[in-house]
Amino acid sequence: MVISPVHYIAVPLLAAFTIPLLSKYIHKELARIVPGIVLLYSVFVSIVLMMQVSEVGVISEKIAGWSAPWGINLMFTPFSGFLASLMSVVGFLIWLYSYNFKKIEQSQSQKYHILQMMMVTGAIGIVLTGDIFNLFVFMEITAITAYSLTSFYRERDGAEAGFKYLLIGSFASVMILLAVMILYTQLGTLNMAEIAQNAHLIPTPLRATILVLFLVGFGIEAEMFPLNGWAPDAYSQSPGPIGAAFAGIVVKAGVYALIRVIFTLFDIHGAYDFLIYGGLITMIIAETAAVAQTNLKRMLAYSSIGQMGFVLIAFGIGTKTAIIGALFLMFNHAVIKSLLFMSGSYLTYNSLNKKISALAGLGKKLPIVSLLFGLGAFAIVGLPPFSGFWSKLYVLTAAADQNMLLLIMAILAVSIIEIIYYFRVVSTLYYGKQEDEEIKVQKPSINAMVSMLILGATIIVVGVYPDIITHFLNNAADMLLDKASYIQAVLTQNIN
Amino acid sequence: MKKVLVLVLLVIVGYFLTDTFNLIPFGENRIGNPQDEQTVAGYYLNNTVEKTSVANTVTAIVVNYRGFDTLGEVTVLFLATTGLGSILFRRKEDEEEIERINKPSSSLMQTGSRVLFPLIALLGIYVFIHGHLTPGGGFQGGAIIATGFLLMLISYKNFKAGHTMLNWVESLAGITFVSIGLWGLLTGGTFLENVLPAGELNNLISGGVIPIIYIAVGFKVAAELTGVLDILLNIKPKK
Repeated sequence: MVISPVHYIAVPLLAAFTIPLLSKYIHKELARIVPGIVLLYSVFVSIVLMMQVSEVGVISEKIAGWSAPWGINLMFTPFSGFLASLMSVVGFLIWLYSYNFKKIEQSQSQKYHILQMMMVTGAIGIVLTGDIFNLFVFMEITAITAYSLTSFYRERDGAEAGFKYLLIGSFASVMILLAVMILYTQLGTLNMAEIAQNAHLIPTPLRATILVLFLVGFGIEAEMFPLNGWAPDAYSQSPGPIGAAFAGIVVKAGVYALIRVIFTLFDIHGAYDFLIYGGLITMIIAETAAVAQTNLKRMLAYSSIGQMGFVLIAFGIGTKTAIIGALFLMFNHAVIKSLLFMSGSYLTYNSLNKKISALAGLGKKLPIVSLLFGLGAFAIVGLPPFSGFWSKLYVLTAAADQNMLLLIMAILAVSIIEIIYYFRVVSTLYYGKQEDEEIKVQKPSINAMVSMLILGATIIVVGVYPDIITHFLNNAADMLLDKASYIQAVLTQNIN
Repeated sequence: MKKVLVLVLLVIVGYFLTDTFNLIPFGENRIGNPQDEQTVAGYYLNNTVEKTSVANTVTAIVVNYRGFDTLGEVTVLFLATTGLGSILFRRKEDEEEIERINKPSSSLMQTGSRVLFPLIALLGIYVFIHGHLTPGGGFQGGAIIATGFLLMLISYKNFKAGHTMLNWVESLAGITFVSIGLWGLLTGGTFLENVLPAGELNNLISGGVIPIIYIAVGFKVAAELTGVLDILLNIKPKK
């Protein structure tokens, strides 16, 4: 069988429908093992397809035998492929981490693993699809799994966070659906390449409405200010690995959709400035809010929002260097924030409450986890030997090329704020006064440790040899900016 | 104050949305010339009968041209049930105390629903088996069957929807859908490709895999919605 992009979707779906029967009639453990095998298979598909795509340029696949405007197509471009690979790898590591996560009850782990696997699948679907309504469907899959995983612990706060997310997320879905509807009345097609080709035919007021509706809808998923009210609660109340999944997978899909709409569908100049301003406000407000947090997971959540603001700024600058920087940021954010959430989850689990002050002295009790958290903290603020440094450098270089001095000042100022609150946590871990000697420390299991060590190693390796990743980023940025070849790839598929 | 602000915002959003929708003339033909095969809608109208032998063009679009979307929607429903189950689940020891929240209904209701239930189920099955011939299909038929179960659930306090059976139906229907898709991928080259012979128009057995998929969707939707209703009705009352 030839490996093709649809394997990303079809195999997890088959597994999701089969798991309830397998675990009931063959072996209970299969409910936890099968999702891992499926996600590992996704990683394998990523490797094969990334090798193929560097030779042929674009892999475009028809579904149900109908070529582009009549049917749905999947587009594996260097850009979408890069994100899909990133998501599948992070998804697999999150599975590995949560394989025997203490706080998830045995009887519930089947549902947890199905939902977590489908969250990854939905996000990969968003990235790969070439059809705007199909994108909406995958957005729904991702969102529904995210709602239920947010309130998975079934506590009061978790239920509140989940309900809030449900309301805001449904609003986003309605906005996106409305935009798709208006788009269809105007162009009579749902294929993104065709829309991109004919978008200039839509009357300006309608085009503006569609764009605004898309921006609001996807902006909610991408945590753009002021649409990110759901994020801090959802991050802090969901199980630890799901916080990592939000940062590494769900939000990435939202940003992808936002970028796809602005860069490919509506190439309007004002939209780029909007990204810069929106991103800047998001970044400044979120990072300032992060300083004020006393709860570790909430702090990480605000930091995550701030980082996404930074990514939007980088995309808004719009030059090739900036886009490489933006993609590098997305990569770093997925890897580093996942590591921070994973290690932070063990740190808070071993403290009396979720407060940062309660982490005092854990540096001695959990040396490796604390070291990994420190590594993540150093990397995300952008200290030189780690991978976070290069992405910031790319974005700042791009901003300098465009003479955006105020923007550079703002980014650097925010970096200082980041250093303040991250270093506060790290110093509490190592130099904080221990209050209670009696806490029995819960050491992370081997699989969680392996998962965190892989992420930690990635940070260092990419930090020392950024070239391994910039090659892919370069191709991805070229592809994103080259709207014509995207349309071309779909149109030539028609002839075949 | 907050409420006034929300109201003002809603009015502003509503104003701009109606303003936009006024730009799209109501009832105007937006497909263009239906004979024009260049538009998507025109292509569907002109080619569906000939290429897929399905009398109901909407079904052909839902199950074949855009079958991938339908698979996604079915998955959304599956995940909604799974998610709901994970949030509202109860530990074994609590299970004895579960009580349906509804009050026992009158004998009129009970007898009536016993007469109606088989008829409703029959109608639902009819609707999804004939999805490719007449208006209706898997989603509609499944929803009709689920209303039959709802009627039984609210009239009989001890009516059990049978979780094992629901799980089997749910899983098998889902597996059928994806397997047909993979079958298409293996033999025809693309996922969900219609690999069976199209057959003769207006026959019950026609349209290749389309009716099979729609029947699977019908069973799945029925099981899924019944599961949701069962979970929601089984909430323990506050004592």
